[in-house]
Amino acid sequence: MNQSELKVKQSETLNAFHIISLSEGFDLSPLFEEKKREEKEELRFATTKPASSVISKLEDLAKSVKFSVRKSESRVRLEGSERGRKGKLSIEAEIFAMTPSFLVVEVKKDGGDTLEYNQFCSKELRPALKDICWTSPAENPTPA
Amino acid sequence: MGCFHSKGSKQYPVFEDPVALASQTTFSVSEVEALFELYKSISSSVIDDGLINKEEFQLAIFKNGKKENLFANRIFDMFDVKRKGFIDFGDFVRSLSVFHPNAPAEEKIDFSFKLYDLDSTGFIERQEVKQMLLALLWESEMKLTDETIEIILDKTFSEADTNQDGKIDKIDWQTYVTRNPSLLKVMTLPYLRDITTTFPSFVFNSKVDEVAT
Repeated sequence: MNQSELKVKQSETLNAFHIISLSEGFDLSPLFEEKKREEKEELRFATTKPASSVISKLEDLAKSVKFSVRKSESRVRLEGSERGRKGKLSIEAEIFAMTPSFLVVEVKKDGGDTLEYNQFCSKELRPALKDICWTSPAENPTPA
Repeated sequence: MGCFHSKGSKQYPVFEDPVALASQTTFSVSEVEALFELYKSISSSVIDDGLINKEEFQLAIFKNGKKENLFANRIFDMFDVKRKGFIDFGDFVRSLSVFHPNAPAEEKIDFSFKLYDLDSTGFIERQEVKQMLLALLWESEMKLTDETIEIILDKTFSEADTNQDGKIDKIDWQTYVTRNPSLLKVMTLPYLRDITTTFPSFVFNSKVDEVAT
């Protein structure tokens, strides 16, 4: 039962345009988001480890903080069991293959309170992912 | 260039009629009016002149007016259809219309092609894709070896450039994107479906001159 095997097929490899479209310069959604903008962390990092390593790291993390895990294709979703300020905190990680041996992982808040998410990122997520990061995780810089 | 009679009272450029704009775009009249509320707040954020300049655009997207970004510049240039250096209300509505979930795919394909054709030659060249790729990597603080970059470019062009001449023309792009619809994801803003609830439109105010038809 290869549940933690996420075979990244050649056909699923991202091409340059997929990568380019990750730019926040293309993302016009800030025009429409609520006025009171909470600084939302979006973690993006690259890794040369296989997707299965990324997934098992996330699963281990989930276990240690008692979050549930749901996997589908190239996504992993972690959800807290307790309701926080704005419901259960849920996080989604999406794994992109830039080349078969070079992955980019994007982690976003899927539901729940942004402040709780930011805390989770700095206290739990970043430390857990530190040793598989190929580069230091890029943060969306908070504006001055 | 509009002339502004500065005699104490603000003079805005003539804003295009919402009914006319609705008929040209995927938006309804009330959606155009809602967009006007959004437009007003963006266009007055740095200079209250009824127009969106580059700094105001950057402020709206990045919450930082000074942040320069290759891709945001491209979007700005695409919105600034007449290349005046600022986006007027008509530009704003017509360009956003392409991002509506219901906008025709042809419009999205056309817009994205022009977006990536950095020097507007009518072709997306390998060098341009490389430039955008490098810009993205720099923006994300990620590094790839030159070799990996070339592998990615090779793969992209082997798929998209049908006659293998190092350039992607309009037809190539159309074919490629039809086969890989996820490439058009960047061209749709689901938020545009709920624009009237996000920005309740007030009575369209008297700053709008009735455009003589």
